[in-house]
Amino acid sequence: MKKYFSITILFLILFLLGSISISAKVDIGGELAASLISIIDNEGSISAFLQESLDLELFLPAFNNTQAKFEIYLFNNPMSGGFDYLIKKLYLKHEFDKLYLTLGRQPISWSFGSMLDPVDFTLGAMVMDEETGGKYQDAIEAYVPLNWNSSVSLVAAFPEASQDIKWGLRGRTMIGGYDLTLNYVREPEIDFMGTIIPVNQRIGFTAKGDLGPLGVYGALGYYFKDNDNGNLAYLIGGDYSYFFEAGNKIYFQLEYLSIKKNNLSSILGSFFTGNVINNLNENIGLILGMANYEIDEFSQISLMVISSLNDGSIIVMPGYSSQLNNNLSFNLSTAIYFGKEDTIFGPNVSEGVQQRPKGIISIGFTYSF
Amino acid sequence: MRKVKGFLLIGIIILILFSSLMVIAAAEMTAEEIINKRDSNEYFDSVRIEAEMIIVSGGRKITKTMIALSDKKNSLVEFTNPQDRDTKFLKREDDLWMFFPDAEEIIKISGHMLNQGMMGSDFSYQDIMESDKLTDLYDFKIIGEEEIDGRPCYVLEGVAREGVKVSYYRRVSWVDKERFIGLKEELYTQSGRLLKETKVNEVQEIEGRWIPIDSVMENKLRKDTYTGFKIVQIDFNPEIPEGTFSLQNLR
Repeated sequence: MKKYFSITILFLILFLLGSISISAKVDIGGELAASLISIIDNEGSISAFLQESLDLELFLPAFNNTQAKFEIYLFNNPMSGGFDYLIKKLYLKHEFDKLYLTLGRQPISWSFGSMLDPVDFTLGAMVMDEETGGKYQDAIEAYVPLNWNSSVSLVAAFPEASQDIKWGLRGRTMIGGYDLTLNYVREPEIDFMGTIIPVNQRIGFTAKGDLGPLGVYGALGYYFKDNDNGNLAYLIGGDYSYFFEAGNKIYFQLEYLSIKKNNLSSILGSFFTGNVINNLNENIGLILGMANYEIDEFSQISLMVISSLNDGSIIVMPGYSSQLNNNLSFNLSTAIYFGKEDTIFGPNVSEGVQQRPKGIISIGFTYSF
Repeated sequence: MRKVKGFLLIGIIILILFSSLMVIAAAEMTAEEIINKRDSNEYFDSVRIEAEMIIVSGGRKITKTMIALSDKKNSLVEFTNPQDRDTKFLKREDDLWMFFPDAEEIIKISGHMLNQGMMGSDFSYQDIMESDKLTDLYDFKIIGEEEIDGRPCYVLEGVAREGVKVSYYRRVSWVDKERFIGLKEELYTQSGRLLKETKVNEVQEIEGRWIPIDSVMENKLRKDTYTGFKIVQIDFNPEIPEGTFSLQNLR
């Protein structure tokens, strides 16, 4: 059904393209990126490979209240050695009288400004998981605006690992200057490499606003499965900007996440949680900090730290970026892992788990067009 | 023939008298009247602007292009240059929202970001998206008269009204005496520190209004940096469909 779903959308877009008069403006844009990625393993040896990618997007004019989008991400896959692709967007959005209907491959993101989000539609689809495609779903979304800042949206998605539908419902409003959302997600039963992951559901609540000069936010999630006790996760955080005498600015963001270990891999992604196999009922406290200092109008350095308060393991991620001209930017990012064996961010000891390196350094250029 | 000359002479005398009265009247204008006249030039009930923002720092120059739509209270800005294409900002009173095109998500931006440089420029979000009348925000008084680029100007000092939220506590404005347009402005903190300075390079009369179409904002706290703002196209009182300044329209 899912295959037919994408093919149908592709034909619809080709039909639309054909319907648009030749004079209508169709634009192409995107990003071309090339990076040298070096991986330092726990023995101290370094391996490096080139990562090239092309993100290509078609900008099509709207047509009778209908908008079509197509975006594809092409990249060389170091695992297979060849080029691979990810269709990020291939959808039609139609504006009805009181409803927006989006049909096709589309990003479904319920981010509210935090670095980690325990109640997003797709967990672990943000911050450290930008290009794995978690947030791009084959889905139908019905979005009903109630007023300028309030809405209800219903999502029916078709995950690759399941034959069943993943459901999501989200309400959003603003009260007293706070952006509030209430959401519900029902994940279908998934067959993951022969292991059946049963149906699970979660209800989430988020809030974001200001407390004097501070930006503050929080999320509360309740996860539950059939024949299982539910459990809570919560996140609190804030952000602040400080200006130096010379006019430069430093931006801080700090947040704390409390979550059951069993749900941690969903939040961080499998790459970071190879050690999350024991004591799954244990509650984990994660603290995340981020500082971003603007050197000048075009350059900035950043430092992000994630630490498990339970075992003291830590990831330190310094970075530097600079915009060299209108279209070209330079990026340097690193990640260094500290921790004893078998800790959340320490070296893997479990068999059959992808070995986590000691550090990763990525240096590259991005060209926008 | 003598009769015609007589009428001409009377006409000239009346014109001179009238001009003199006008000069006296202008000289006696109050600060509020001057700022009101400036507001009537530069303040719009609604406007659509296509503009370029040229950020210069050291030897580097980056141009960002945008389309901005504003009414009395709200503002919507969409960037159109390749690097930021489809990035949008919505400001409704003191609330700022940003649309990230990659994930198509809408995030409420913390209030402290409003006074920060928009997309790396020397213009803050508030500078670009503020749509209040100056007379609603500041109490002005005339502090002198000076020439800017050969044009006589009133020099006015505006101090933030009590209880009103503003980005700059005090501003000194050089207002063209004839065209009633701000040609230069200095923006200060409450402690008296000069934060920014704007200068107008080019003005144009469009539909009977004098509009600064090329201006430069200089961050006085930083060296070798400024941001140019050029209006490429401006439409006054465009038809703004209902729901334009809404979150659904950001998507």
